[in-house]
Order: sequence, then C-alpha cells, then structure tokens
Amino acid sequence: MKIRTVNLTRSFRVGASEIAAVKAVSLEISKPILIAIIGPSGSGKSTLLNLIGLNDYPTSGEIFIDDADASRLSGRERRRIRNTRIGFVFQTFNLFPTLSALENVELPMSLANKPQKEQRERALNLLEIVGLTQRRSHRPKQLSMGEMQRVAIARALANKPEIIIADEPTGELDSKTAKEIISLLQEINEREKTTVVVATHDEKIIDAADIVCTMQDGRLKQES
Amino acid sequence: MAIAATFVIAVGSTTMRYTTVIREMNVLFNGQVTVVSKDAIVIQAIPVTGGMLPQDSTVEKILSIPGVSTVTPVLFVTSVGSQALIQAVPVNFSMGIPVEDWDIVLGPVPLRANGHFPRNDSSNEIVAGASLADQYNWTVNTEIQLNGYTLRVSGVFDTKMALLNRCLVMPLTLAQIVYNYPQSVNILAVKPLQSMPQQNLTMAIKEKIGYVNALTETERNDIVQPVLEQVQTWTIGIEVVVFVISLILVMTVTIMSVSERRRDFATLDAMGAPTSYVFRVVIIETFLMGVLGGVIGIAFGSLTAIVLASLYTSIPVTLFFPSILEIVPPIYMLEMFAAIVSVCCLGGIIPALNAMRMRIAEVLRAEY
Repeated sequence: MKIRTVNLTRSFRVGASEIAAVKAVSLEISKPILIAIIGPSGSGKSTLLNLIGLNDYPTSGEIFIDDADASRLSGRERRRIRNTRIGFVFQTFNLFPTLSALENVELPMSLANKPQKEQRERALNLLEIVGLTQRRSHRPKQLSMGEMQRVAIARALANKPEIIIADEPTGELDSKTAKEIISLLQEINEREKTTVVVATHDEKIIDAADIVCTMQDGRLKQES
Repeated sequence: MAIAATFVIAVGSTTMRYTTVIREMNVLFNGQVTVVSKDAIVIQAIPVTGGMLPQDSTVEKILSIPGVSTVTPVLFVTSVGSQALIQAVPVNFSMGIPVEDWDIVLGPVPLRANGHFPRNDSSNEIVAGASLADQYNWTVNTEIQLNGYTLRVSGVFDTKMALLNRCLVMPLTLAQIVYNYPQSVNILAVKPLQSMPQQNLTMAIKEKIGYVNALTETERNDIVQPVLEQVQTWTIGIEVVVFVISLILVMTVTIMSVSERRRDFATLDAMGAPTSYVFRVVIIETFLMGVLGGVIGIAFGSLTAIVLASLYTSIPVTLFFPSILEIVPPIYMLEMFAAIVSVCCLGGIIPALNAMRMRIAEVLRAEY
C-alpha cells in the first residue's frame, strides 16, 4: 500500500481563531518500513496519523492511496480501506470491555464478513503470535496493560493490513512492557511485511525505526 | 420501562375489566324493555339506587298494555352477606327471579356437575356464582346463612360471565323474604311482542304508569356508552402519556449510555464498521431493553391488576390466579408488549444516529 500526502493541512476552529494542527505536510510511504513520528504533545502527530489513516479529512492538500485521491473516495470506500488495509493501535488500547480477547480480535474480521471459522482460526493464530493464547477468554479488565496492548495489536493485524498506524502505543506502559511491544511491532514489520507508522515519545521506538520524522508546530521534518 | 409497563397494564386491564362487567349488565336483558322506579339510577339494566316497585299491581298494569308478551319481576340486591357497601359496579349481588322465568332472564347458563336450578318458588334453594362458590368453598348442597336464613346451594354457575360469577340467584319469593322486600321488586323485564317496537312500548309504559321509568336496550346502552367511551379515552390518554414519558426516558438513558461509550463507537468507526452496524448495535440494545422491560412489566402489571381487583371486590388474590388471563387477556399482553418494544426501539433512534456520527479523531481530540 502506497500512501502519499501533498501539502496536507488540517486546521481547527477554536473560538474566533483557526489553529493549524498539521501544516503542508508532504510524505510518501511506499515500502514496508517502521516510521517513527516524534514531537512534543500538541505538535500534530495524532492529527497526521488520523489523516493518513482516513479517520479525518484534511482542510487542504491531498492524500493519495495507491495513487488514488482519497478525497474522491466515498465514506463507504474509506471505511472499507480502514477495515481491510489499515490496522489501528491506540495509546488507550480501545478494546471492547464486554468482549473477550478472542472476540476483540475477531471483530474486524466479523465487520469484513469473513466466515466464522476463518475468524476463529486467524484470531487464535494472532493471539499465539502475541503470546496470549492462554488469555483468549479473558475480558480486557482481567488483562494487564501490556496484555491489552498485545490484544490491540493482534486486532489491528486481523484483516492482514498493509499498514499499521499506532498512536503512542507504549504511552501507558512501563518500560519493560514497552520494550516488548516495540519488539512485537518490529517483528510484525519484518515478518508480515507491514508498514508500521508510530507516533511516539519513546526513545526505544526511535532506535528501532527505519525512518524518524519530527513534527514541530504542525510541520514534518525527516531526520533519518 | 418495566415500571411504566406495570402501570399501564395494571390501569388498562383494571379499566377493561370494569367496562366488560358494565357491558355485561345488559346481556341478561337482551331484547327486553326494563322498567325501574322513576328515581332509580341505573347502570345499563341494573338499578344501583332508587325505590322499589309494588310487584303485582305494576305487573298487572304493564300486562294490560297492548304489545306486551311477558313481564318478569326481578329483585336485584347489591352486596351479599357482610359486603354491605353499595358499589357503583356491583361485585357481589343477589337476584330474585320467579322460578318459571329463569330462562327468560338468564338464558341457557350451564351449571357445574350435579347442580340443578331451584324447583319451586317456596324452596330455600339458590344458585351461586362460581367465583363466590370458590371463595367460600360452596358446593351443591352446602348450606349457607344469609340474613339469618338458612339457604342451600342447589347449583353453581359454570360461566365466564363476570356478573354471574359474583352473584346469588334465587326464587323471587325467597329473595323477597331474605332481603325483606315483601311483594316488591326493582326491575321488571318486559318482553314486547314482535310487532311492538321497544321505543313505542316504553312510551306506553311511561304514559300509563307515572311512577316508573322504562328503558329500551338502546337507551340503556346510551346511558353508559358515553361514560365508557370517556373511560376508554382517558385510559388511552394515560397510556400515551406514560409511553411518551418512557420514550423520553429511554432516549435520555440511551443517549447517556452511548455518550459514555463514545470511544467504543468511534473505535468501531476507525475499524471500518458500516454505519448501519453501529445503528443496529444501539437499536438491538434498546430492543432488548424493551423485551426485558416488557416481560417484567407484564408480569408485575398482571399481578398488580389482580391485587387491584382483589382490593375492589374483597375477593382473595389467590382466587384470581386461575383467571389471570381473563383479567389481563393475552391479546392485551401482546399489544402492550409490542407497544413497549416499539417505544424502546423508537427511543433508540436518536442515540443510534448520534453513535453513527462518532469519529475517532474527534473523540481522541476531546480526550487529550
């Protein structure tokens, strides 16, 4: 999956003034690499991830998905891309509290109308990859934070996405667990050939990333 | 929702029961003109207050009017035994009818096994309503004391008619002795000849006998019909108000519940869930709320209706259990269940539309 942004800008109206969270960002992601986007809080990292994850609409500029202009996509097409080609990992995990770990992982496949048997097999396989086979019947409340984030990563991988967008995936975790999650993301990037875009403050992710970009006041600067 | 359903079912079925009883009051006098004292207040054919009529002279005068086929004098007394209250809707009452005329008034009402109708006017035999018999454990040949007289139950009515279920029917002369109304009655059921319209007959009776009021079947219906219609309108009005309040409550509760779970709905959107899926999730929740509320409400509503019926009639609650489906008919339960579920589903629409509009970017922005 190739994602290209051209002069991407996203502004928000706050009272009488308009604040640009993302300013003229041009970016191209064409290879399955691990990209870290760093920057202070409020620099626009999450806004940028929401834009390239098709969760938000730019105020100006363009996003191209495989050279197709995303602004021309219907809501239904954007949802289909989010469901089948993009996986999301959130800082607060965003697991469904009433579902078990296994059901949380099955959900994106259920939304994609995959057969029940296939859902179950894939979900069990993913839980095995993230090391949670024994915890498959547990609800999020019964899991540790690290385990919840592992379930969230397994869920993000459910429909074999080409890109994983992770917004501060280690933000809520202790350093040991954070290290494990980073290794997991790295492993997924290498083994599944999945592009991983991570917004983070975590230096360990920066060390593991192929490319590090810095966001400052809404502008993006590639460092390495 | 369950509380609203309980209230609606209790009020609705109680009202329905009483309107049914009132409608039944005319059934016994189908096709007949009823004559009562001029000062009597009647509900359908039954005088609930008012003076008595001298039996023989009044019957004689009516029989002398052309177009009259038969005249049946009836003594109708509200309350049995210690139930000394005269109620607008009689629940326990006695009727005295000449033995030879029972068919004319009661029609072909069956009796429970081994029962028979009183054989002659001078006997001490009575026929009891099923509900009264069950309440006091009366069977055929049971002897009962009424106003100091010993009476014997010769039969128990086997009918679903609420009015007959709560009555004692006895020979007219016996009733006049027991209730101390010698030679007096308070209803005369007059059957006109086929050639005689009821309207003409009532006019003739009123002209000839100054102290009576004569009513055709239509006039008797006309007296209570507006009241029944108004009761029905009020009941529907109360139901509508309760359902509207429930709708608002369901909507408010669901809006709050959706708002508390906005991150879940936004995550579903981020995961590419179709908006129809999110809508369905919320509507299914409110539907289940309706099903649960409906089942609990119908159960408690039926119990409340029985308790209310028991309070108004002084009949023990346990006696109503076997006839619960007569007090709260299954069709009414189904109608209410459908209404409750529909109200809940309707109440879920606006919250479901809200849930459909939740976007992860906005939710995360609001959180940080």
